[in-house]
Amino acid sequence: MGSDSTFTAQKRTSTVLPTTAAAKGGVRGRANLLLPRGRQIHKTFNNIKITILCGLVTILVLRGTIGLGNLVSTDADTENQLLIEETNRILAEIRSDRDPTDPDDQSEELFNPNVTYSLGPKISSWDKDRRAWLRKNPEFPNYVNKKPRILLVTGSPPNPCDNAIGDHYLLKGVKNKIDYCRIHGIEFVYNMAHLDMEMAGYWAKLPLIRRLMLSHPEVEWIWWMDSDALFTDMTFEIPLSKYNNFNLVIHGYPDLLFDQKSWIALNTGSFLFRNCQWSLDLLDAWAPMGPKGSIREEAGKILTANLKGRPAFEADDQSALIYLLISKKDEWMSKVFVENSFYLHGYWAGLVDRYEEMIEKYHPGLGDERWPFVTHFVGCKPCGSYGDYPVERCLKSMERAFNFADNQVLKLYGFRHRGLVSPNLKRIRNETVTPLVNVDQFDIRHSLHDSSV
Amino acid sequence: MLDRFLGPRRARQIQRLLRNGKLTLFCLLLTVIVLRGNLGAGKFGTPEKDLDEIRETFSYIRKRTEPRRVLEEATAAQGQQKSSSSTDGTENGSNNYAEFDIRKILKDEDDGTEEFKRDPSLPYSLGPKISDWDQQRAEWLKMNPNFPNFIAPKKPRVLLVTGSSPKPCENPVGDHYLLKSIKNKIDYCRLHGIEIFYNMALLDAEMAGFWAKLPLIRKLLLSHPEVEFLWWMDSDAMFTDMAFEVPWERYKDHNFVMHGWNEMIYDQKNWIGLNTGSFLLRNCQWSLDILDTWAPMGPKGKVREEAGKLLTRELKDRPVFEADDQSAMVYILGTQKDKWGDKVYLESAYYLHGYWGILVDRYEEMIENYHPGLGDHRWPLVTHFVGCKPCGKFGDYPVERCLKQMDRAFNFGDNQILQMYGFTHKTLASRRVKRTRNETSNPLEVRDELGLLHPAFKAVKVSSS
Repeated sequence: MGSDSTFTAQKRTSTVLPTTAAAKGGVRGRANLLLPRGRQIHKTFNNIKITILCGLVTILVLRGTIGLGNLVSTDADTENQLLIEETNRILAEIRSDRDPTDPDDQSEELFNPNVTYSLGPKISSWDKDRRAWLRKNPEFPNYVNKKPRILLVTGSPPNPCDNAIGDHYLLKGVKNKIDYCRIHGIEFVYNMAHLDMEMAGYWAKLPLIRRLMLSHPEVEWIWWMDSDALFTDMTFEIPLSKYNNFNLVIHGYPDLLFDQKSWIALNTGSFLFRNCQWSLDLLDAWAPMGPKGSIREEAGKILTANLKGRPAFEADDQSALIYLLISKKDEWMSKVFVENSFYLHGYWAGLVDRYEEMIEKYHPGLGDERWPFVTHFVGCKPCGSYGDYPVERCLKSMERAFNFADNQVLKLYGFRHRGLVSPNLKRIRNETVTPLVNVDQFDIRHSLHDSSV
Repeated sequence: MLDRFLGPRRARQIQRLLRNGKLTLFCLLLTVIVLRGNLGAGKFGTPEKDLDEIRETFSYIRKRTEPRRVLEEATAAQGQQKSSSSTDGTENGSNNYAEFDIRKILKDEDDGTEEFKRDPSLPYSLGPKISDWDQQRAEWLKMNPNFPNFIAPKKPRVLLVTGSSPKPCENPVGDHYLLKSIKNKIDYCRLHGIEIFYNMALLDAEMAGFWAKLPLIRKLLLSHPEVEFLWWMDSDAMFTDMAFEVPWERYKDHNFVMHGWNEMIYDQKNWIGLNTGSFLLRNCQWSLDILDTWAPMGPKGKVREEAGKLLTRELKDRPVFEADDQSAMVYILGTQKDKWGDKVYLESAYYLHGYWGILVDRYEEMIENYHPGLGDHRWPLVTHFVGCKPCGKFGDYPVERCLKQMDRAFNFGDNQILQMYGFTHKTLASRRVKRTRNETSNPLEVRDELGLLHPAFKAVKVSSS
């Protein structure tokens, strides 16, 4: 190494010095065998010099490799380090799917494919039973203030997302749904439990919807919404009177469904089920492709073979429903309303860049391509590790959609975001001593109520 | 030359010394140059960096002597510092969420000018003084019969208010616990017919941190005249008794309900004699007045610091830190009992706020001996994780205890919701659920144990359908 040679070089040079010095006055020195005191001190000084020199060089080299900071380590530093390590260990434990206290965790019995899966024991008289219950319980009517009772259902897995940012957007999604539900008097259920381990993943909504329907006969419509769908029109209300003769309302395009048999003809990220026997039957007919394992794999192959454009992967609920409705068209389609006059589900890519244009030209309450009701971030998957789209585009768009909707909520309070990607607010109205004038003008609930009267 | 001043021998010695010195310096210089050449000046080599590091180390030691109990708020400045020092791992177009720094996206898009600004020369106020709020509100309620302030006889319309920061938590699992906490509140409120407002916006930059609730509460009271009671709840508080209904009748002559003890406030002025993490405030003129009285200690900066010193002096056992809303309320009640005391109800019969430290280890015992609906020490209504700060990096308690206990409290409450549908968590620490009863073909015959599916407090007035 280079430094070594300098070391030795120095040593050699330093050793040269005393000897040359000694050589000069050497005669006298060699004459005396015992070195005089002066010489000894001189030698000592030289040694000290060499020591200091070597010490300096060592420090320089060490600094080069370790850095100065660590040479001055304090108790605080080590305490910090321990704390960080401990926190990371705990976070890793929390994130892992394994359950340390569960004895059956390792031995998860997979569903036996020989037995037909069912969501529950067959119920055949649900309409009659439900009507009887409603008659017996008039304090829990299915119509409140002349509007049918709706239950909005959404959910996410019980464990933390793979990345912290995923949980943050789940939280923002929940706030967005809470706001819409408060303004429109809709009840909200957020599910974080796997009710049925066989129907895990996107199929988890089926057992959940069935369970909620049966436990809440007072609910007229169950509205499932994905956790990655955001409300972007806070004023728009679903025109439920349009669906008096239908039991399933889902966004899609009939020509894509029947002519092209496309796997994205409908979207099961946002749909409404009436609480009735027909819905229970449809759920039972929908479920068989769901059970995890070989059934789902095989079903996936069938779906890929029969639906246009579907990539090869295990069966998902959307493709299964499309396949069911296509193949049993006469049995089911009479009660299914394929809605596309407003964005019950709005694919995000074509919408998020146009928000500024919408703010300029249109107004909330339209629900369609001019001011979308729902912006659905299909494919972004912020709770996982990888999405189908670049992360920056997804997150920026989700932030924009969230703030676009939040502006509509904050309008009542006299605030607005400083831009669609900004978490900060600015006032749009002065504080006043007669705030009720603003309430009458800006509260969405009052404008809705006036229009319905 | 030297010969003239000193003896010849002396001169030679000094010459030798000088020569040695010259050679030494020369070798030193060579060494430094060679080392710089090998290791480079960039990362560790520059003397300026050295000086910076030394300065930093010493200033860090100096900073450490300040009390750790300071309740800090995450500021944007801290965020910027961090993002500049962390390496930027994503190229444009990466699909991986692990490396992304959200602070790249969040930015203001206007020029920052305030169109409606408070006059900074005047003392701080939450807004222009309103003196006839009771009359204004009564008139409005008369004109809007479809938005009554009582949704059932003896049941007022309640708005539960909570909130968190619009930016992601510093702690990677913080947002997950915020999510669980809001789910817990959503469940309780759905059962009890209470509306929720989740705030994620800072309405007034001067009242940041724990004071942010004051402008928010005032704004909500004035914008929602149909709300009779506003229930503020911290984001780190969880409902653990889903069946307990707040005894609204008890408070018909009071306007402000907090958990606390009269002796600890009025006699001792103890700073933890009450808790402002969970309280009820009636929508009326009195509340606007007390908010105006409460606010002056809040504005960030010198005002808050000075107020903090006053509060530490005046209140019992209060440590040294800037003014917080809880201590300020203790001080107000302690010094102005005659003005406010008769309308303030310090509730201690049930846990409107329950300090987690004494509750979380007893959950199994509670399950064995008691049942939901009690709301007190036997089955607490609220378990409040004071000091845990799951959204920040460091709290006052060990991380493991805090997070594990929050999981247990969440499951304890969630079990009461799941039992409606025939499920329960496998254990209080487990995320997995198991059935408690089989599916049946007669679902309407089954009654849930606690009667929470169709509880009396959610019933609609029969005549109004």
